[in-house]
Amino acid sequence: MDTQRAEVRALEAEIAALRRACEEPRAAGEDTWRAQKSLREMYQSDSEGWASSKDLRSHLGHLESELLFLSTLTGISVRNYSMKTEDLTNTEKKEKSIMKVLQRHRLSGNCHMITFQLEFQILEIQNKESLSSVITDLNIIMEPTEYSELSEFVSRAEERRDLLMFFRSLHFFVEWCEYRKRTFEHFKEKYPAAVHLPEGAASSCMVVRSACQPGFELVIIWRVQIDEEGRVLPKLDLLPKAPQQALELDRNRVLETAPLSFRALLGALGIEAALESLIKSLCTADYD
Amino acid sequence: MEWANDGKSKGGVLAHLERLEIQVNRSRKNLEDPQRAQAVESALGTKIHKLRCLRDELRAEVKQRQARVKASTVNVEPDQTLEISEQEVAERRKENVKAILQAYRFTGLSGKLTSRGVCVCISTAFEGNLLDSYFIDLVIQKPLRIHHHSIPVFIPLEEISVKHLQTNIQHFLFCLCEYLNAYAGRKYQADRLQSDFAAFLAGPLRRNSLCNLLSFTYKVEPRGQSFPFCARLLYKDLTTALPTDVTVTYQGMDALSPAWEEQRASHENLFFSKPLHQVFTSFARKGEKLDMSLVS
Repeated sequence: MDTQRAEVRALEAEIAALRRACEEPRAAGEDTWRAQKSLREMYQSDSEGWASSKDLRSHLGHLESELLFLSTLTGISVRNYSMKTEDLTNTEKKEKSIMKVLQRHRLSGNCHMITFQLEFQILEIQNKESLSSVITDLNIIMEPTEYSELSEFVSRAEERRDLLMFFRSLHFFVEWCEYRKRTFEHFKEKYPAAVHLPEGAASSCMVVRSACQPGFELVIIWRVQIDEEGRVLPKLDLLPKAPQQALELDRNRVLETAPLSFRALLGALGIEAALESLIKSLCTADYD
Repeated sequence: MEWANDGKSKGGVLAHLERLEIQVNRSRKNLEDPQRAQAVESALGTKIHKLRCLRDELRAEVKQRQARVKASTVNVEPDQTLEISEQEVAERRKENVKAILQAYRFTGLSGKLTSRGVCVCISTAFEGNLLDSYFIDLVIQKPLRIHHHSIPVFIPLEEISVKHLQTNIQHFLFCLCEYLNAYAGRKYQADRLQSDFAAFLAGPLRRNSLCNLLSFTYKVEPRGQSFPFCARLLYKDLTTALPTDVTVTYQGMDALSPAWEEQRASHENLFFSKPLHQVFTSFARKGEKLDMSLVS
């Protein structure tokens, strides 16, 4: 009977606690509900807020399409960019009219298959008459590529702090490399038996061999060079290979002078036609 | 008992419980009676049963309420935070894209879409110095058309556009970049020579509008009594900022001593390989060294 009484007391206590619990959440719930309602009202009354959010989305869409257009137009896509400024204006009276601001920029992106990461500083000096902006420091980090020609060019651009030259030359460099690749691929397709690309179409080397004339080989080395001023120029060389016997019989030194003749051919015909005539000269029998 | 009094006013289950309580109390008075004791016990049992039912009812109610509150916070509030954060993300992305669009000027080519096409801005620089920029407003239709531009008349725009505009607009723009940057570079060098090294110049620096033909008379030592040199710099290739032809002549004497001839030739080499103002910076440094040697 005592245990029953104890249970009654425990149950009574629990019921009292539950009743209190029933009251409290109701109030709390009402509060959140009220808060939500007021928030909603705030949003709705602030019609500008809704409108601006709509505007924001369409504005963002416009900017995104502009960015896409610009990256297609220039062939350069900038993925990330940030800038910090530091005011270096001397507060002393003498120099008060001269404003100096140092900007630290970080920019990363890619130009076709070449990715780059740039860090540069620009010092802006404004006095009464003029504003000058000078790049005071330029660091270029590039992922290692198969294009070894680029590393020398990159250090030259860094040394001269010539950011615009870097992009200009990079553009022309990539353009030439793409052209070289297309040309190599074209000849490989046209003369599959004679043309070999031992290091792939993206490399600088094309080999021409004839099935009818074993031992003979024409190696074409096509480099894309960037000169001191950042101008990009193709440089093609011909390395003929022939069996020893053939060299001995070559009274007119045709093979010896072939590299020079090839240069002349390039000047007269242009790259594609010169390569074509070279392939045909070795492989006439194969394709007749 | 409190709960009984309380129950009275509320009625229902509690009123019933109160009646049970009274029963219990009554039965207590008759404890001695085993029959009554039995009745009390069964009454307590019934009471416990009823209390348990009530407790379970309340427990369920509390649970329900808690669930409702939770649901309301889950359903509505996160919705709103979601909305806000989405807006925040869009805002941040907008600022980021805006900044990237601005940053394109460091590539040399930036631009803005217009209702009919695009207005491209071409930036120029010489080495680290950021110089003027030019715009070219293109109407995108077939064939592509230049609507407006601020490119100086002496830049062969017509020739470049005939060659590339219809076939490869990217190439066209970068070619234009080359021409404009080379021009800006030549002009910058000539300007620096005039402004920073006027003391070396005997007479004005003459130049054409393209700044691809410069001629000037200079002395290596501004205060020296030496005869002046005459320089003529020609930039045949309009995409370069270094001369393709350099002639330096010596004024005053017909026949040059070997020492002067050597100096003249070395100047020619310098003008070929270095920007103009840098050549004069090296002259100035040599002059300082000379001054120092005179002092000591």
